[in-house]
Amino acid sequence: MTINEPMIMALPKGRILEEVMPIIRAAGIEPEADFDNPKSRKLTFDTNIENLKIIRVRSFDVATFVAFGAAQVGVAGNDVLLEFDYPEIYAPLDLDIGHCRISVAELETLSKTDDPSRWSHVRVATKYPNLTAKYFARRGVQAECIKLNGAMELAPSLGLCQRIVDLVSTGATLKANGLVEVEKILDITSRFIVNRTAFKTRSGEISPMLDRIREAVDG
Amino acid sequence: MLKPNETALLPEGLHDTLVGDAFAETKVVEKLLSAFSANGYDLILPPLVEFEESLLFGPGKAQSRNMFRLLDPASQRMMGVRTDMTGQVARISHTRLGNAPRPLRLSYAGDVLRVKGTQLRPERQFKQAGVELIGTEATEAYVEVILLGFETLKDVGAKNISVDLAMPQLVPTITEGLGVVKELGDRVRDALDAKDFGELSTIEGEIGEISRALLDAAGPAEKSLKILSNLKLPKKAREMCDELSKLVARLADVAPDLVVTVDPGEYTGFEYQTGISFSLFASGVRGELGRGGRYLVNAELGSGEHATGFSLYLDSLMRALDNADAQRKIFVPRETERAILKQLQADNFRTVLGLEDQEDVVKEAKRMECGFVWRDGQVKEIT
Repeated sequence: MTINEPMIMALPKGRILEEVMPIIRAAGIEPEADFDNPKSRKLTFDTNIENLKIIRVRSFDVATFVAFGAAQVGVAGNDVLLEFDYPEIYAPLDLDIGHCRISVAELETLSKTDDPSRWSHVRVATKYPNLTAKYFARRGVQAECIKLNGAMELAPSLGLCQRIVDLVSTGATLKANGLVEVEKILDITSRFIVNRTAFKTRSGEISPMLDRIREAVDG
Repeated sequence: MLKPNETALLPEGLHDTLVGDAFAETKVVEKLLSAFSANGYDLILPPLVEFEESLLFGPGKAQSRNMFRLLDPASQRMMGVRTDMTGQVARISHTRLGNAPRPLRLSYAGDVLRVKGTQLRPERQFKQAGVELIGTEATEAYVEVILLGFETLKDVGAKNISVDLAMPQLVPTITEGLGVVKELGDRVRDALDAKDFGELSTIEGEIGEISRALLDAAGPAEKSLKILSNLKLPKKAREMCDELSKLVARLADVAPDLVVTVDPGEYTGFEYQTGISFSLFASGVRGELGRGGRYLVNAELGSGEHATGFSLYLDSLMRALDNADAQRKIFVPRETERAILKQLQADNFRTVLGLEDQEDVVKEAKRMECGFVWRDGQVKEIT
């Protein structure tokens, strides 16, 4: 087994990163100083561990990088994992951070007369068209998904559709836009993910890393 | 905008293999088949297209949605294009070669066609080459087949080869032995296959504990066998693990440089396999170079035979090899004697003959992408 091959860890930008970094650091992985410099234009960061580099990408892209083996390990929410449903990604560790849920929400005015058990067809705006279609199909409801990349909460009030499927953590954003949660689809946490081939061919490097991160999560 | 070039565009997942690549791939197939043949495996070449029901017989069923079909105007029956050659080998083994002495050793190579590619293999048409060892249940059959795969891959130039062993029937055997309801059993099996710890952590009771230990057991063979040996398992599952450790010990014995890992929970792609399954990996490739294992041939007719084999996928394999030993091309001016061409070819040159008189032979040689030129009765390297 060659030790010289680089190992790439893909981390999601934004909110989750703040929660992930304490775990990564507690596991003994320390990125170079530029990592915390918001002005840095760097995309790849060295760490104190030889061969291990960190890349920072959008949360959906973490899954894609890891699935195609461009990164060997990473951190992604199970919302992203279920949306893509890549067979090439293993999620051997729950990091117990980034808690939220994916829910169906609709306008408060509609929810007063609406009965979800009678739906046969819904039109939903969502960042997660696959996950949404699958969920509704299992319920026997045909879902027409409109893919949006953000600000889903606007869609119902502007008449784009009546319902949305989105991440909810406190519910404040929904409320501010006159929406209510009508059904929870699934609870979300962030997972430590590993590329399937890397898991099998580089277990000598990945197993100890998993152990250290597991200790950091438990401790 | 570019002008549309309709004739250059190929359907999704299909491609032209050009110049050097085509020759290199053909060479590799040749080397594989020679190695199989040297080990006593007889080559068979089934047709590209067969009647649909023959292809869908047995394990072929799983590929039903992935098979191209066409109507045979002659017989008015539906035909299918093969998606995998192992089913055809199995068919031959129990029909035309039904009376051949067992164990029967067969090898094959050819193109397959699929309706849809996968994430790691977007190709819809690719070459497959492999072997089947039919009519024996011995642990030694695994050793022979895995060793053959390992050695031929090494011979064609793959590096850092490792084999990952799986037992696709282990989890169902355990859940059955413990009397776990099917729905929960399936959940455990899927979660273990995807190494989904989040899902496994919600499973309670004995099966929950066992399944979490099985997840930990995925990795280097030594660590894995230790975890497996400490588990309290139903008798049949224990026997499977015993055979696995016997196989790992034999492999360490005969091929000490082969890296062996174990993944007790994996079953995707091995749904029809009955014993120990394996995947072959090498550095520089995103997925496996080939997979294999054991299944029951002709199980439907009640007189099944055990077959152990593997298939290599040439598209993945070619990515694992560096293509450095491309043959040397030499430009030979017009009116060079035929005997000299023959001599150069015998010296491992590829001769490119000029058809017209050239003022500057070296310039012409360069234009024709030759590294050498025949001049003044000598081979000259072009710098």
